[in-house]
Amino acid sequence: MSTREIFDSRIESGLLLLPTLLVTVVFLYYPTALAFRTSFFDSSFGRAEVFVGLENYVELLTSSGYHQSIIISVVFAAVVVGGVVVVSLYLTFLIHEVDTGQGLYLISVIWPYALPPAVGALVFLFITHPTLGVLTGPIESLGVEVDWFNNGSQAFVVVALAAIWKQIGYNVIFMIAAMNNVPDTLTETAELDGVGGLRRLVSVYIPIMTPTIFFLVIINTIYAFFGTFAFVDLLTSGGPSNATNILIFNLYQEGFSFFNFGIASAKSVVLFVIVGVLMFVQFQITDKYSYYGG
Amino acid sequence: MTTVTLHNLRKEFDDVVAVNGIDLEIIDGEFLVIVGPSGCGKSTTLRLLAGLEDATDGEIVMDGRDVTAVEPKDRNVAMVFQNYALYPHMTGRRNITFGMKSSGDFTDEEIDRRVEEAAETLDIADLLDRKPQAMSGGERQRVALGRAIVRDPDAFLMDEPLSNLDAKLRIQMRAELAQLHTSLGTTTVYVTHDQTEAMTLGERVVVMNDGRIMQVDEPQTLYDFPANRFVAEFIGDPAMNMIPVDIENGTAVHDAFTIQLPNADGGVRNGVKEGGDASIRDGQRAVLGVRPEDLYMATDRPDTGDETLNATVNVTEPLGDSLLLHCSIGETPCKIQAKARSEIRPDDTVSIAYDPARLHLFDPESGDALYHSESYASSESAAAAADHG
Repeated sequence: MSTREIFDSRIESGLLLLPTLLVTVVFLYYPTALAFRTSFFDSSFGRAEVFVGLENYVELLTSSGYHQSIIISVVFAAVVVGGVVVVSLYLTFLIHEVDTGQGLYLISVIWPYALPPAVGALVFLFITHPTLGVLTGPIESLGVEVDWFNNGSQAFVVVALAAIWKQIGYNVIFMIAAMNNVPDTLTETAELDGVGGLRRLVSVYIPIMTPTIFFLVIINTIYAFFGTFAFVDLLTSGGPSNATNILIFNLYQEGFSFFNFGIASAKSVVLFVIVGVLMFVQFQITDKYSYYGG
Repeated sequence: MTTVTLHNLRKEFDDVVAVNGIDLEIIDGEFLVIVGPSGCGKSTTLRLLAGLEDATDGEIVMDGRDVTAVEPKDRNVAMVFQNYALYPHMTGRRNITFGMKSSGDFTDEEIDRRVEEAAETLDIADLLDRKPQAMSGGERQRVALGRAIVRDPDAFLMDEPLSNLDAKLRIQMRAELAQLHTSLGTTTVYVTHDQTEAMTLGERVVVMNDGRIMQVDEPQTLYDFPANRFVAEFIGDPAMNMIPVDIENGTAVHDAFTIQLPNADGGVRNGVKEGGDASIRDGQRAVLGVRPEDLYMATDRPDTGDETLNATVNVTEPLGDSLLLHCSIGETPCKIQAKARSEIRPDDTVSIAYDPARLHLFDPESGDALYHSESYASSESAAAAADHG
């Protein structure tokens, strides 16, 4: 390999790799291994760890509250991933179709992505707050009583909307690049044939964009399971009545509110396995249905 | 069956003028080729016809209907692109039927029948179930043609459809396109930068440069009676020699030779079809145009007369069927197409004869043709045929 010749010796290349290796080992692999180990212990502050074998896992398997959290997480992920992809595709298409001011539309769609999640959550709180929210009045004038501090379904919808709104920017960046890569002549052929706009999006653009879309589905899935913590924490704290208590928030509470490190570790291992299996399934589907150029 | 008329058509992209006010009439059922160098506005003209670009000014009339502002889909034209523009994820059949199915103007039976017909015409039946990825360039272009003909459009618009094919396949597809046009008889506008393609395919050829039409004529007329220097140099390969001369008493005078101009008595313009001002006067400077194949070794053609010129050979290029000589006549560079296998070496001085019927004079400033030594009027039928547009 010619790239090896850049460095004089293995020691030099090793030294240059060291910072990256150190960071990943110290902050990723070591904690992962530790969490896996802790999941077999009864562990908390101020007392010695006791090995309990699979007891933590047995407790999770038999806890109806945890089962509910899994179901909520999966439904939440499905809604968020589906919502993000559909809305982003449509917005991308609209931006793709405008001739002037494309940059302006793009910025207005992307900016929520540039916010830190906590700030995004607070912004959304002020948009939809049951008494103070700027959108609350208009929505209530449609005959819907906004009461998501007490209404579980409404809370779920609000958190999901916030999560979707935050992630659209990221998706649009990739989608607009992919859509702009579709040769103009295909668009022009469709125009000459009288193929309508939405039909063109669904039958021409989306199939050609599948590699990008599948990549985004995977990223969005990870986001829905892990990256939406701030919204749950700041908007609902998992409530009301655990209606928005998704796995990532559930395990945070277990570990850092109740200080049951053993159970929390077991929960993070379960979450890891669930997301891992989903990734595997998605990759299988990706390879089967993606169109990769040619 | 469609007649298309362009009136003062103009297209600007910001401060670039791509098409600079052209007038053109495309006759019902004809195969019209637009040819020109890169950036001359030929593709833009085609895209204006298709409706893919909005005209800045002027109008496009199809069969008496002003379509300048009409949507592409409502013009009933089909376009074939250089890169084929096949949907990569669809099979050949779906590529052909997708547009028809989407527009909803055709029943399924009608679509099936037309696909079968097109498949037979183009011999693509075995490509219908393959995706473009599994087709060669020629096969893709056939499917793209299939997609164009199933819709039975009023006009075909083809934008360099053969440019991505290799040389051999291009020649084969060229013949097939000509045959297809003969059998369908649909008005076809074909854009190319390749003058050989233009000459072989076009019933009439439009030569464009800098957004303007330089000449519209039948291929042979373009070749024999170029209206200006640009057309003379663009059509024909190798290009026409251009030799600066002075006109004196019906002769062209150069430092190294003097040539008697036939039929050039006293400034009577000759052979120039259009342009009332064109004439040659004594003492005028002009550019003498003569094609490399109209110059011969004097020894090969002893019967062409006494008038010969001397040239020094700089480079020889054997082309197989002929020997191309890069020479100097005095200080002026000049190409000569000599017989193949001629024993000529660089630095030889050769005696050259010319065909007196194939001389042209151009204005050195405007480039307009001043004189063709063969009388255009003598080919009256050609003139009539060329003028009916």
